[in-house]
Amino acid sequence: MKVGLFIPCYIDQFYPQVGIATLGLLEKLGCEVTYPPQQTCCGQPMANSGFEHITRGCNDLFIRNFSSFDYVVAPSGSCVLHVKEHLHGGTAGAAAAIRARIFELVEFLTDVLQVDRLDAEFPHRVGLHQSCHGQRGLRLAQMSELMAPPFSKPERLLRLVRGLELVPLDRADECCGFGGTFCVTEEAVSVKMGKDRVADHVRHGAEFITAADMSCLMHLEGILHRQQSPVKVRHIAEILNHHLS
Amino acid sequence: MSSREDILARVKANQPADRELPDLPAPGAGMQEQAAQFSRLVEAIGGEVVRVESCDRIEAILQERFSAGQRIVSGPEVQFGRGGRDITAVDNDPHLLADVDLAVLRAHFGVAENGACWITEELMEARVLPFIAQHLALVVDEKDIVPDMHAAYDRIASLETEKGYGFGTFIAGPSKTADIEQSLVLGAHGPASLTVFLVEGGKPGEGRTFNA
Amino acid sequence: MSEKDHAALAKAFNEDEPRVDWHDQTLWWVRQKRDRAARQVPDWEALRDTASAIKENVLSRLSGYLEQFEAAARENGVQVHWAADAAEHNAIVLSILRGHGIDRMVKSKSMLTEECGLNEFLQESGVEVVDTDLGERVVQLAGEPPSHIVLPCIHKKKEEIGEIFHEHLGTPAGNADPQFLTHAARLHLREKFLTRRAALTGVNFAVAETGEFVVCTNEGNADMGAHLADVHIASMGIEKLVPLRRHLGVFLRLLTRSATGQPVTTYSSHFRRPRPGQEIHIVLVDNGRSVHLGRKDFRNSLKCIRCGACFNTCPVYRRSGGHSYHTAVAGPIGSILSPNLDREKYGDLPFASTLCGSCSNVCPVKIDIHVQLYKWRQEIVQAGHAPAGKKAAMQAMNWVLSKPGIYQTAGRTGRWVMAHVPSAVNNKFNLWSLHRDLPAPPRESFGEWYRKNKANQ
Repeated sequence: MKVGLFIPCYIDQFYPQVGIATLGLLEKLGCEVTYPPQQTCCGQPMANSGFEHITRGCNDLFIRNFSSFDYVVAPSGSCVLHVKEHLHGGTAGAAAAIRARIFELVEFLTDVLQVDRLDAEFPHRVGLHQSCHGQRGLRLAQMSELMAPPFSKPERLLRLVRGLELVPLDRADECCGFGGTFCVTEEAVSVKMGKDRVADHVRHGAEFITAADMSCLMHLEGILHRQQSPVKVRHIAEILNHHLS
Repeated sequence: MSSREDILARVKANQPADRELPDLPAPGAGMQEQAAQFSRLVEAIGGEVVRVESCDRIEAILQERFSAGQRIVSGPEVQFGRGGRDITAVDNDPHLLADVDLAVLRAHFGVAENGACWITEELMEARVLPFIAQHLALVVDEKDIVPDMHAAYDRIASLETEKGYGFGTFIAGPSKTADIEQSLVLGAHGPASLTVFLVEGGKPGEGRTFNA
Repeated sequence: MSEKDHAALAKAFNEDEPRVDWHDQTLWWVRQKRDRAARQVPDWEALRDTASAIKENVLSRLSGYLEQFEAAARENGVQVHWAADAAEHNAIVLSILRGHGIDRMVKSKSMLTEECGLNEFLQESGVEVVDTDLGERVVQLAGEPPSHIVLPCIHKKKEEIGEIFHEHLGTPAGNADPQFLTHAARLHLREKFLTRRAALTGVNFAVAETGEFVVCTNEGNADMGAHLADVHIASMGIEKLVPLRRHLGVFLRLLTRSATGQPVTTYSSHFRRPRPGQEIHIVLVDNGRSVHLGRKDFRNSLKCIRCGACFNTCPVYRRSGGHSYHTAVAGPIGSILSPNLDREKYGDLPFASTLCGSCSNVCPVKIDIHVQLYKWRQEIVQAGHAPAGKKAAMQAMNWVLSKPGIYQTAGRTGRWVMAHVPSAVNNKFNLWSLHRDLPAPPRESFGEWYRKNKANQ
């Protein structure tokens, strides 16, 4: 199957290793992956700031880049959710076609590739941060507010990794406080939310914090670094693709 | 145009496309555990449940708990030798009930899912009585425990007389507040305690109606 | 950032970190109590669907239900008034009081009266108003508005309440025992109930079928006021109707479990007829609701039953406090209701959120709160209320992100600056860096790596 790899702008610029791990993982699992070189961004930072009405250029570029694939896969729940809910434009049907075929990495591995075995090793204590848009928007995991049976796609995949120990948390799905431009427009609350998330993971002995969204991890990492904490962040793609050398 | 016309016109112009009413859930079933669940809930919300074989036992119990100097007022359907219905002037002035230590009233039925008792004003003597008394005792027949609020409103409808109640209330436990740092305190403005006398026996579904 | 917007007020709130922790943990505990209570109801999610559908039916037939309710209430001997806005509501209440020569009144909790500024209006008109809900009395004595629609003084520590009671009620200095303080309030307010001839309550639900209305309290203060008063005034938003009495079963199962985690409030009082010699007046208030009803994207916020569950689950509310929202009803629901009244004054509120979506999940009537927050952002910006700098930045961002070549150059340049002139970015003007480190800039972007290693394979 032909997969178009969508690498969000901030992963492209600041965390290329996440893109490399995603690409490696998908290829190992038998996908023919292409990275359209003219891609930039899904437009979410502007839309969430109330500027959805000026994202036409961004949307058209996205449609031009990704129209020709069976699937479009991205290592980012919030970007994929944004495209699924807000991509419009292009020629008739083009946007709708992409919206139907775009997947976040964890849901692609679970629902399309139906991965039940992974050749990966990560012998560490890991805290799983449930990024909000992936969890509540894409239904990657059950939401603690709902009276409904529990499930978690990222957790299921992490349990396929040898040696990995998942730590429990006090608040399994509280938001980290990144929230796009919120991280600077409401800096005080954003940082406080991030510090509280970090403290939850640290309290439970996590050596690494992982998530399906690098934006959350960038925010948490910024706080961990400022605290000079030994705890590190890893995108879930890096863990699922990890081998001991 | 009056405000009334103005508001109604704007509402009518702006209301969305018609949506049908949904079906309501069926009332819960299972008579056996209801009295036990009801008792558990009353106790969980700070009330006390006392099972009695008959109403005659109630006065004896209350005599033990309340001293002769304390004022006990009982509502209709609850006949006590002492205190009794000494509220001659109350129809004109509910303020005269301000010094009541204990009000003993019958309730129509209880609700198992939340420990509430339904009581209407015919059973109250004065509307303020179940609130102004320092302590409250309600008398409920065990056979008159319904499973949940859906069943409760079915029962209210079946109890309805032509005129209907002028005032009715669900009472669940003693008055309370947690407004100070979420510390639960029993006894806010209403009664500081609630005792529910659960009268055993009788056939389930036997209703009780009152003339307003 | 103006002095009065959410971001500035929240920043001030966060200066006392231990206090933020206390506020956050207290409200999270209420959220957990809600979860525990909801778990006891086997059909909880289906019940939410039912409640939502009933309320959607109400909104679609609201004019008919209002007329039906008014007719039934009038037949019950209740007087019904209509107020187009806050000012008219306040004037009606005052005229009822003056008509009876009353200048002292007790009031139980009504967020609608907060919205209308009733207390201030009445005080200015020479009427003394005593708030009788314990939390509301505390904030009244403190001269503050409530910070939560269900837990009015959740932002106050017991020591602070002790000081307030010492000053106004004469309790011993330093006594902060909740039991003792509550008992002092009981005695203090009992005297008010027994001596005031007018009581004003809110309305939790009003039944179109029968003309009755329901007032829910734990404290019994609404009943103590109403049953001792000659005049009972009930203030009600026009959206508070339910069609049939039996619908109350659905809402009374959801309301308190969502609000505080209790199965039901201590008292759920159904008022249908005045008692002999008493008058009951209902004031139906519009104040923007009929306009809001016409907004396709936002009308569903009128389903709200004022439970406060969205406040308790909101990670931003818990860490900023109700006063940061500078409006009568704060939290997530307030952030989608208030802009209807004034887009400019309340235009900051829809941005006081990360759009995490937790609020929509706890809402007993399934209001799509987080979706409406996003849509309000578009409305507010398109109405021209975005700060000028933000607009320019967004347009610049859009320009860069629409042109791959420029994006790649900008990225490369930015990373070079971060690596070689870190002080250009890591300074006090960069809000990110106040309390966080920036990511270390990699030497090449993913795109550059891909071109070098994979593109020609």
